[in-house]
Amino acid sequence: MGRISKPGKEDTEVNWDDYLKAYYEKPQSANSWSGYDLKEIYTPKDRSESNYEEDIADAGTYPFTRGIHKNMFRGRYWTKREVIGLGSPADTHERVKYLVEHGGSGVNTIADVTYEMGLDADHPWAANEVGLTGVNITSIADMETLTRDIPLDKVSWSLITASTAASVTMAQYVAAAENAGFDLAKLRGSIQNDPIHFRYCGFRPACPLDLSIKLGSDVMEFCTERMPQWYYTTVNMYDLREQGITAAQEVAFGFGIAMCYVDELIRRGLDIDAFAPRFTFYVSCHIDLFEEVAKIRAARRMWARLMKEKYEAKDPRSMQFRFAVHTAGCSLVPQQPLNNIVRVSYEALAAVLAGVQSLHCCSYDEPMCLPTERAHLQALRTQQILAYETGVTNVADPLGGSYYVESLTDKIEEESLKIMKQVEELGGMGEAIRTEWLDRQLEAEAINRQKELDKREKLIVGVNIFTAEPEKTTPFGVQRVSEKSAAQQVQDVKELKRKRNVDRLKEAIKRLRDDAAEGKNVIPAMVEATKANGTTGELLGTVRQVFGYSYDPMEVVESPF
Amino acid sequence: MLVTKVGLDGHDRGAKVVSFLLRQAGMEVIYLGMYQTPEGIIKAAIEEDVDVIGVSYLSGEHLIFTPKIVKEMKRNKLDDVLLIAGGTFPPEDVPTMKEMGIDEVFIAGSLTESIVQYIRERARGKRDK
Repeated sequence: MGRISKPGKEDTEVNWDDYLKAYYEKPQSANSWSGYDLKEIYTPKDRSESNYEEDIADAGTYPFTRGIHKNMFRGRYWTKREVIGLGSPADTHERVKYLVEHGGSGVNTIADVTYEMGLDADHPWAANEVGLTGVNITSIADMETLTRDIPLDKVSWSLITASTAASVTMAQYVAAAENAGFDLAKLRGSIQNDPIHFRYCGFRPACPLDLSIKLGSDVMEFCTERMPQWYYTTVNMYDLREQGITAAQEVAFGFGIAMCYVDELIRRGLDIDAFAPRFTFYVSCHIDLFEEVAKIRAARRMWARLMKEKYEAKDPRSMQFRFAVHTAGCSLVPQQPLNNIVRVSYEALAAVLAGVQSLHCCSYDEPMCLPTERAHLQALRTQQILAYETGVTNVADPLGGSYYVESLTDKIEEESLKIMKQVEELGGMGEAIRTEWLDRQLEAEAINRQKELDKREKLIVGVNIFTAEPEKTTPFGVQRVSEKSAAQQVQDVKELKRKRNVDRLKEAIKRLRDDAAEGKNVIPAMVEATKANGTTGELLGTVRQVFGYSYDPMEVVESPF
Repeated sequence: MLVTKVGLDGHDRGAKVVSFLLRQAGMEVIYLGMYQTPEGIIKAAIEEDVDVIGVSYLSGEHLIFTPKIVKEMKRNKLDDVLLIAGGTFPPEDVPTMKEMGIDEVFIAGSLTESIVQYIRERARGKRDK
């Protein structure tokens, strides 16, 4: 349409001085998103050429800088996985089927705040919030509703529960799968299970540090022994990045947390090569495309060397940095929301250029509400356009060898290693967490990012440049969570608690308590307690008490046992 | 001014950043923290005798908790206290939130200056009425 004057209306007023300014405008900054002062051009002089085999090497070859598989996407596309979680288990189940029908190649369901906190749906604090940000699974019945008629030995299911409640999620999934007759050894997928990082996402009452390491590692150990095709953690660097930290901090902090679990599993007597091949990460792809690709290439090289040199891994699979990408939710804004589709496309492109194993694209309505069906489909289509139309899957590590990208990879590695050394000098990540050093880092960076926007040192279209009247509506509507289905779930949970066999449950809870007290792995007892209709709050609460914490993280409900 | 989260939502980056930057702009800001109840928020607002209450929402809980907070404010006759909200919610809900009794909303992407300016212009005015 453009600026065509309509009869009876004045022509649009154009300020030609502004036009001239725009015509001659150049970028105000040559810094990368993380603040690296970049050169005008990068040349062979920016990195030493002599060490290709040692530092870079072909994809599929140590140190895996260029990718973990020799042929990358020619062997198989990345898993196209959109995070799903809304309302009741039945509502979430419906959306899972919808996305698989439209070409989603992995299932990905996320816990709501009540489930992450380890609260049953009928908890007084949960009543207001069940299903608002994900799905609450209180009992085996909920998990069976979520997984009903889905061939768990065929699909790859990613369970996003991050807090100590991940131990219960794993038990619920195992119990539901066993009840449906599936062989555990054939289950494929992953569980987020990174309670340490989750204390920084507002779930500190559910994530005391010792219990985080204990329960996180119990899941890892259980899966190593019983579920050889399962990825038992995705250490979540993404959530940390969302707080506003830089690319190098994301890698360094993520690795620091990962090492807490690795050290614990080794302390328990597991061989590094027995468990490390199933270790995975959840990584952000932010808006600075080259920096994000370089970050992931650096992370691959660093993880390979860490595993080989520090932990003396022998199996190359132990040295491969496997990762899922979540495009950066914090880069999206509610102003002019369709622009978010473009942002997500660039971020997803970065993930694919960096050799991602599994990808979630944010929906354009992320800064407004949970994704509508339309927005979810748009995010999946963004992945499909990348995969089937653009040709970026043809060649492994297409940016490898770029003077700029190789130099930036070195730079981020150098910076990350520096931060990791700093953490080591503080006494390791456990100590950096206990002394709240990490809190201070995250908080300071969050403030820096907002100041950059306020001062227009970083620009976001619609926020501090090319602004327009605020939107009155969300394009294609808003996703609401049905109050009815949430209320129904609360009712169902109350009824289950009334009807279950209390003697059988008490016996199962006693075994769980004993196992926890004796320092045994609690997952087998959690599976039994789940089958006896024990609930999320009951299982977690029982273990919490053994470790000296309140039964209920919110300190309202008393143990019924 | 009092800044707070309400309910279980743990997305507190925005609330902490806004608290810090408003303090830098010269305001006296108390950040109440996470897991607050409407009753607890209003009790704190009375004890601290604040001019403004700022609630930060991110998890779709804005339409559930806003009426409860407003009800507590009315019950305690805090008519002269400004109630503002920030965070992530659909634009469709902004008129609803205002009808419920929120004076102004600042969605994600708001610049600090806009919040400071609004509070400077409005906070005293409301109290002087």
